[in-house]
Amino acid sequence: MEDKHNESEYIIELRNITKVFPGIIANDHINIQLKRGEIHALLGENGAGKSTLMSVLFGLYQPEEGEILKNGEVVTINDPNDANDLGIGMVHQHFKLVDVFTVLENIILGVETTKHGFLSKKEAREKVMKLSENYGLNIDPDALVENITVGMQQRTEILKMLYRDNEILIFDEPTAVLTPQEITELMAIMKGLAAEGKSILFISHKLNEIMEVADRCSVLRKGKYIGTVNIKDTTKEELSNMMVGRDVKFAVDKDEAKPKETILKVTNLCVEDPIHKKDAVHNVSLEVRAGEIVCIAGIDGNGQTEFVQGVTGLSHVKSGTIELLIDGKMENITKKSIRYKNTHGISHIPEDRHKHGLVLDYSLEQNMVLQRYFEPEFQNNGFINFKSIRTYSEDLIDRFDVRSGQGPITQARSMSGGNQQKAIVAREIDRQHSLLIAVQPTRGLDVGAIEFIHKEIVNKRDDGAAVLLVSLELDEVMNLSDRILVMYEGEIVGELNPKETNVQELGLYMAGAKKQQEGVNDNE
Amino acid sequence: MIMNKGGFKQVLASLLCILGGILVGFIVLLLLATFTDSISISEAIKGISIVLRGPFASGKNAMFQLGNMLFNATPLIFTGLSVAIAFKTGLFNIGAPGQYLMGAMAALLVSLSIPSTVLHPAIIWILALLAGAIMGAIWGCIPGFFKAVLNVNEVIVCIMTNWIAANVVSWVFNGSKFINYAETKINFIVKTETNNIATPTLGMDTLFSGGSVKSYIDISIFIAIAVAIFLYIVMNRTVFGYELKACGFNKNASKYAGMNERRNIILSMAIAGALAATGAALWCLNGHQDFKWDTYQTLPADGFNGIVAALLASNNPIGVIFSSIFLKYLNVGGSNLAANTSFNEYVSQLIIAMIVYFSGFASYITNIIANRKKKIIEEDRG
Repeated sequence: MEDKHNESEYIIELRNITKVFPGIIANDHINIQLKRGEIHALLGENGAGKSTLMSVLFGLYQPEEGEILKNGEVVTINDPNDANDLGIGMVHQHFKLVDVFTVLENIILGVETTKHGFLSKKEAREKVMKLSENYGLNIDPDALVENITVGMQQRTEILKMLYRDNEILIFDEPTAVLTPQEITELMAIMKGLAAEGKSILFISHKLNEIMEVADRCSVLRKGKYIGTVNIKDTTKEELSNMMVGRDVKFAVDKDEAKPKETILKVTNLCVEDPIHKKDAVHNVSLEVRAGEIVCIAGIDGNGQTEFVQGVTGLSHVKSGTIELLIDGKMENITKKSIRYKNTHGISHIPEDRHKHGLVLDYSLEQNMVLQRYFEPEFQNNGFINFKSIRTYSEDLIDRFDVRSGQGPITQARSMSGGNQQKAIVAREIDRQHSLLIAVQPTRGLDVGAIEFIHKEIVNKRDDGAAVLLVSLELDEVMNLSDRILVMYEGEIVGELNPKETNVQELGLYMAGAKKQQEGVNDNE
Repeated sequence: MIMNKGGFKQVLASLLCILGGILVGFIVLLLLATFTDSISISEAIKGISIVLRGPFASGKNAMFQLGNMLFNATPLIFTGLSVAIAFKTGLFNIGAPGQYLMGAMAALLVSLSIPSTVLHPAIIWILALLAGAIMGAIWGCIPGFFKAVLNVNEVIVCIMTNWIAANVVSWVFNGSKFINYAETKINFIVKTETNNIATPTLGMDTLFSGGSVKSYIDISIFIAIAVAIFLYIVMNRTVFGYELKACGFNKNASKYAGMNERRNIILSMAIAGALAATGAALWCLNGHQDFKWDTYQTLPADGFNGIVAALLASNNPIGVIFSSIFLKYLNVGGSNLAANTSFNEYVSQLIIAMIVYFSGFASYITNIIANRKKKIIEEDRG
């Protein structure tokens, strides 16, 4: 036992892991070796099996085949408690925090120190503060989680793992929800953790981040293990080639926008936050013209969601007007029903695919006609025309490469997140529209799918559609849009030309450090 | 089309639940026999066999009991459908008892107020049935409206409307001319046959009879089956059903898709109410039934048992036909048990309750059959 550490170079080894789901082999004999103190990236397309593999390691799934070794010894992990006992911790993409508890309470949740049955937070607090200092994880232990930034929530999650003395840390797409500044911070934190001897598994499909922070990278494709490379010996291009199986273009190929007539005109829109009863969107005015992609950039939670919900009709509009070009005339659609908006030119890729985008208990084909089921093409006298729905959805599945276990009859719930997203994008892009509202259209998608969807959106623009894009991804904002509007605390604080600005300047606007007034840049 | 793969699993799950319930019920009988001096073990075996054979355990009375069983199953099929349809739209219609009472009241008022000398009895029969259905629809709308417009939980409003209905019915009939004073059954309303109104039997009552005693069976059981099939088609084959189910599965996505989810909630509750009330109206319009009017302290059992029938059928309208008949089959078995053995009727109720209890595991067992020890991949971002 004493020389356990010398037995193996690897702290965790996954050998020949195979995990089968109905209709799909999620993991096909996968081997991953995690060295002590390294940052090991796990790269793969949507549905490549990354999350499944991590769920196996974390004890959420039992593999059909294969074994897990820790320090060279075979271990069985039946549930997350076993994983925790083995020192494996995980930061999930969607944080698992109790909103109404303080940061400290969240960190000690489940491993509370007690005296005579009463909670004793003093020791816990000392330990947390020490960890926080050691690793540069700046937190406020007494703030309620619901009041702190996403970045601090993530640091809370990291502290949770450290507090439990975990030595193997899994980060599941940790940067998806962060601002550029926060991402830079996180990268530094991860490097610090590795330097202190923690071993990190970093799941991502963002190549820039992997290139920056990882030591080695293992690539999965369609459930198969492709290979492991040293980051210093490889390039972004090679990685994406391994991941997708072909060369991928990173820059969006598009011509100069040729904006024509105004399609959407929003004037002084105010949308109230249903909980806090204050304006989540305050006096926002904007126009989107045919043939241009206008992007609303901003940090998550600055009113973009409410703005889009106001325009599409999902939320009640407090004041202001929304006009849409219908049959060559601007029409006030502020008070019109969602059905009216849907059938008069608005397509909407919603932010939350589970809440709004899909009926998860419906099949893929039923979801493909979610807004069109009543159209003559899909019904006869009130009876559903199953045949035409099948033909239509098969066509969409084919064209947009939506992968699933059983094709059109697959239950939407059982599909991978990326393919659910592709299904929604397929449906919305294919629907007749003059205005495409795309909220984080590539959320959770890999580079191959992103490339494809970006191309489709640009095609729509070139066909004369107006595109209103809302994105948290700076790459997407910079590459895809023809005009950028930055939203901060419910207001538009700046209009930028993607050709004349850079990520740093954009970041400053997003963080509220810079503001334009009436077109004049008052900072500098 | 009913027996697709998922449907087969659901049927199998329901059967397994029933089997489990029967097994536990049998154990209860055995235990009772062991610990009660007056009851022997063989009596327990005889008892469970009587319960399982339902009407067929009664020898020459089998046809009679069968006829009554089918007649009594009719209102249960309707309340079962009522609950199942609401469930499909994501609503828990625990208000079926109230809708049932209101439907019975409206049907009785119409069928007893219009003398059959003025209008042809068949026309009165139809009017009474419609009145019942409409009354039920209105009553069902109330919780639907509260849910859709004010977002008040439908269960709360349903329970309140149940008791309101119970008292309204008592109040309306209290001291009225409809009370059966003639037979000095003052807790009951006069039978509709006194006004020459009775559902056609097509001679089935003679077919299903025990000697000279006719059973109550009439064509209402066919109406119930037809309605169930109709609803199955509506829910699975029509645009309307697609919309209702979408609202049930995911209210937000339906809203996003432009469906009027408020309208659908109200509509679904109205349909549910109309169904429960139709069952009640058909029961009353049989002609030979005593409707107990002083209902203020009790709610009709068939209203609540509709939940059981729906649950047992996994909310499949076709399945509701079978689950309802099955429940009534057990009822008959239960009363035969009390009549022919030393066990009392409470024991038979207990066994039925066991089966019902086990039916709560239906979805759990479906999962086991589907061999899904693995969790569903909610979101595989890998």
